[in-house]
Amino acid sequence: MAESVIGKRIPKVDSREKVTGQAMYAGDYRMPGMYYGKVVRCWEYASAKVKKLDFTEALKMPGVVKILGPDDVTKKPYNTTVMKLLVPEIFGEVFGEIADLNIFNKIVKHQGDAICGVIARTEEAAERAADKIKVTYEPLPVLMTCEESKAEGAKKNGYLFTPLKPGNKAFDLPASFFPNQRYGWNDKDGKTAMELFDKCDYVIEDTYYVPKQKQCQMENHSYVAHYDERGRLNIWTSTQMAKPVQVLIAELFELPLTRVRLVQTIVGGGFGVRLGMIGEPHCCAMAMAVPGHPVRMEFLREEDWVASETRYPGHIWFKCGFKKDGSPIALDSMYMARKGGYYTHGSGPPFCFAAFIHGMYKWQAMGCQTEGYFTNEVPTGAYRGYGNPQLAFSGEQMITRMCKELGLDELEWRKKWHKGIGDETWLKGVTFASDGLNDCLDVAAKESGWYEKKKKYAKQTGVKRRGLGVSVMQHTSGAFPMLLEHSVCTAKLNEDCTVELMQQISDLGTGGHTAITQMAAETLGFPMEDIHLRSGDSDMCGFDIGAHASRTVYCAGPATIEACESVKKQLLERAAQLLEANVKDLQMKDKIISVKGNPQKSISAIKIAKEGVYNYIDAATGKTIGIPGQIQGYSSFFAKHCSPPFGACISEVEVDTETGEIKVLKLVNAHDIGKAIHPPSVEGQLEGGAQQGLGFVLTEEYAYDKMGRVLNNDFTDYKMLGPSDMPDAKIILIESAPDPIGPMGAKSCGESALMGPIGSVANAIFDAIGIQFKEAPITPEKVLKAIKEQGLQK
Amino acid sequence: MASSRILPEFELLIPQSIKEAVDLLGKLKNKASVMAGGTDVVISCTKGFGSPNVISLAEIPALDYVEYDSKSGLRIGAMATLQQVADNADVQKRYPALWKSAAINGTPQTRNMGTVVGNIMRASPSGDCICAILAIGGKVVLRGSKGKREVSIDDFYIKYRETACKSDELAVEIKIPAPAAGSCNAFARMTRTTLDLSKVNVAVRLDMSGKTVKEARVAIGAVAPTTIRLKKVEALLKGKQITDDVLQKIVETVPTEIKPIDDVRSTAEYRRDVAGIMVKRIILEALGK
Ligand SMILES: Cc1cc2nc3c(=O)[nH]c(=O)nc-3n(C[C@H](O)[C@H](O)[C@H](O)COP(=O)(O)OP(=O)(O)OC[C@H]3O[C@@H](n4cnc5c(N)ncnc54)[C@H](O)[C@@H]3O)c2cc1C
Repeated sequence: MAESVIGKRIPKVDSREKVTGQAMYAGDYRMPGMYYGKVVRCWEYASAKVKKLDFTEALKMPGVVKILGPDDVTKKPYNTTVMKLLVPEIFGEVFGEIADLNIFNKIVKHQGDAICGVIARTEEAAERAADKIKVTYEPLPVLMTCEESKAEGAKKNGYLFTPLKPGNKAFDLPASFFPNQRYGWNDKDGKTAMELFDKCDYVIEDTYYVPKQKQCQMENHSYVAHYDERGRLNIWTSTQMAKPVQVLIAELFELPLTRVRLVQTIVGGGFGVRLGMIGEPHCCAMAMAVPGHPVRMEFLREEDWVASETRYPGHIWFKCGFKKDGSPIALDSMYMARKGGYYTHGSGPPFCFAAFIHGMYKWQAMGCQTEGYFTNEVPTGAYRGYGNPQLAFSGEQMITRMCKELGLDELEWRKKWHKGIGDETWLKGVTFASDGLNDCLDVAAKESGWYEKKKKYAKQTGVKRRGLGVSVMQHTSGAFPMLLEHSVCTAKLNEDCTVELMQQISDLGTGGHTAITQMAAETLGFPMEDIHLRSGDSDMCGFDIGAHASRTVYCAGPATIEACESVKKQLLERAAQLLEANVKDLQMKDKIISVKGNPQKSISAIKIAKEGVYNYIDAATGKTIGIPGQIQGYSSFFAKHCSPPFGACISEVEVDTETGEIKVLKLVNAHDIGKAIHPPSVEGQLEGGAQQGLGFVLTEEYAYDKMGRVLNNDFTDYKMLGPSDMPDAKIILIESAPDPIGPMGAKSCGESALMGPIGSVANAIFDAIGIQFKEAPITPEKVLKAIKEQGLQK
Repeated sequence: MASSRILPEFELLIPQSIKEAVDLLGKLKNKASVMAGGTDVVISCTKGFGSPNVISLAEIPALDYVEYDSKSGLRIGAMATLQQVADNADVQKRYPALWKSAAINGTPQTRNMGTVVGNIMRASPSGDCICAILAIGGKVVLRGSKGKREVSIDDFYIKYRETACKSDELAVEIKIPAPAAGSCNAFARMTRTTLDLSKVNVAVRLDMSGKTVKEARVAIGAVAPTTIRLKKVEALLKGKQITDDVLQKIVETVPTEIKPIDDVRSTAEYRRDVAGIMVKRIILEALGK
């Protein structure tokens, strides 16, 4: 066995090409005869009817090839998400899934809606011609809140986003499936949470607001599509869900899968924004209008802001009941989300919000109602965390408030009441198989000086006040059994005994490709350099869901392992035959297969691989030399669990009570990873997640004017934390609870990192000044106003 | 809708001398904009506020100087970058307010391109170097078809994004007097994140005689259509020692001298609430307290 590569701090397999600029992103592709596509969007209105489209002037512009309006492309409505491929059809119907979007639209439902498309010989020509297209609009009512949307939808002849959703209600949980329209679990006597509040000694209620946050991935959405001379539609895209998007494109353009080739290019950040189709339909439609010519299309940053999905904003209501000693009894809640202009993921993130409530603490009964209304905002969809960050902001603040009011230690309470091995996870019937949360909490408490500092700060005076907050979370590793989690891997043994993995793995910068390669190397006992992962081309790869729900290592890794195990098994079987030995007596080390305890009796795996391909007849004996046939391993793997990882985060903040400014001094995030296959990648995920979590809680949110137009569709005014704004962040990987189901003990880490910073910073602010903030982001403006109105509560 | 990808078409004029530049300006008047570092001009173009002619100063020789001597003070040429000014030892030592307003300005990339004179001429109410120089005092040296004139920074800003510079004039340098003995200055700003435009910025110059303030200049930005001096606050300081009482009065007076608005960066209310605190703190910082 070569030295194990698991848990080693080796360079990422793709880091060199990325840091030297050699990596080819979709926007870097240039092809012979290539044209450029430009989507013309509505910038003036968030809600309007297109009265007239006039291409006359634009068509006169030099270099213009074609201009496509709504009637020049397929009018088949679609939904951006891949969700319908991941659940049985009946599920989609229950949840009220609809297809309500067109490639080019005659009704504008949010600023940035696509109206038509220009194809030109150069990018510049396309841009300039787009500027000359005259669109006449008739403004429609602009609905920016759930209340407005509901009221308008209730009117006779009121404005409806889609006739498929009466009253503008985009989603709720159907009572037929969900009693009281709640995702909820009753207590052992069958009582609902609502019925248990009477039995509680202490009941609290609060409403929170969570913001509309943007993923802000570095790479703008870019595509090249080519409807080639064989009648195949080729598309190069940095989607994070390559295979499902290929299927959606095939459906939209009514082509068999053999005629749609999707090549996933290097992904410059995903975070959920590429979870489904974004500009693929537009780029493909343009390519199909000019067969033989590849069409490149790129979103500008300002387009990304208005034409790709965001996090779900909305109001969250909580009511929780406890015994005097803090025992959690009943939790009832409601998430009222603003959906934006289209259905997209529908109930997805709010539903997951409800699910994550259920996976965290040992309530006797709980329930969560989720509802959403269409608004004239940028549609909402997937963003790292998918409902869980919203819970971190609201639920974790509520627990801390309860602990403060009942005089309990909030860290100890969390240790005592969080779910663990044997308890049901976020999904009924699926139980936790591992739990490292108490270790996370202990380590974070120690590293942050929790107990000492809490004591010290209790007595502080002065303008600047410090505080510490804690927050815990549980997430998921893939979405089984709620969603399909299927991954296919083919491991081809080359004639020189190196291995080519063919597997559609999305690496959004997460290190997924590295971890998968490590797992293959480990399984085979080959060095890393002898494994090459080929990923991205649907012509070569089998099925895979892609990157969502923190699934790659956990759900796709086992496919890799199984395929490599099969290669190894075939090598050993051939060796057994050639050595006239038993497979179970053989071992392989440094590509030499030998009989255990008898190293002389051995054969080179390289020889077996070579003779499998170059198989000749021995002229003397008339028999084949070696055993014929190229070895290939294959796995079509379905996940069997979702092994939720836990995490605990402690933040220390300083609040300037004269200006309301908040400084995060230190953040300690301990993550229950089970086993870190590639520790630097896991740490990278946790650091990056902290940056987005801190943005959620401190600075990030869409700003709209009264007309529904985005005021901050750029980095000048949409503020993410930059490198110099980041606190001293200590990331700790807890490996004391390897997961018995996860590959090599691993659980997920892709999304987990956002939650801790959100809850813990909010709680630390509460600790510092005694005021709890119910609206995220918590800006200095809000802090100072609260201090002015309520005074320091500490 | 303009596109951030494609610049609208304009005539790029590259004069080789100040005279040539001034002649062009005289001819084109308000149909031309001057470009120093272009960190503002180019962005304005992509946002649809470009002009049909852009006169670049890039090839006019010897405009990128930062020079100090104890008699004439500091002179900053029209093409001296923010980074050059931030790196200058005299600026660091004698004009910490100016130094800071340049050193925190934008990103390394924009500091290497953008100029201090461009910052002054851009006349943004939140311009950081403007705030520093308005507190320290100085003159903008203009060249036009009628020759050269100097305008005090105190008279330079007329209204929102409008300066005393005429459309046929060019700023060639900024002159800042040498600090007298006992004079100190400081600058601070408040932003949402490190890389940001100011929500509020403040700067002071205090000419001290022992513990007494002989003369004070206090500037504040992003709370009115232009960066302004706080005359009442200056009067409160003049001839006084800086006591808690004086500082408290200042905190209360500042909000009466400003007219902030709500925008994406902050609210009028917040700006009013923190402006006084910021002025108090910057006074203490200038005095090294
Ligand atoms: C990412 C980014 C961050 C920024 N951060 C900050 C910040 O933190 N603080 C801040 O104050 N500003 C900031 N800015 C704004 C701008 O970069 C600075 O104000 C910079 O100093 C402008 O200098 P410039 O040489 O690039 O000006 P230019 O863009 O060349 O010109 C700016 C304006 O001044 C005029 N002008 C320039 N030179 C002359 C001259 N010699 N005579 C007459 N008119 C002239 C131009 O016509 C134009 O109207 C930022 C900009 C960007 C893009």
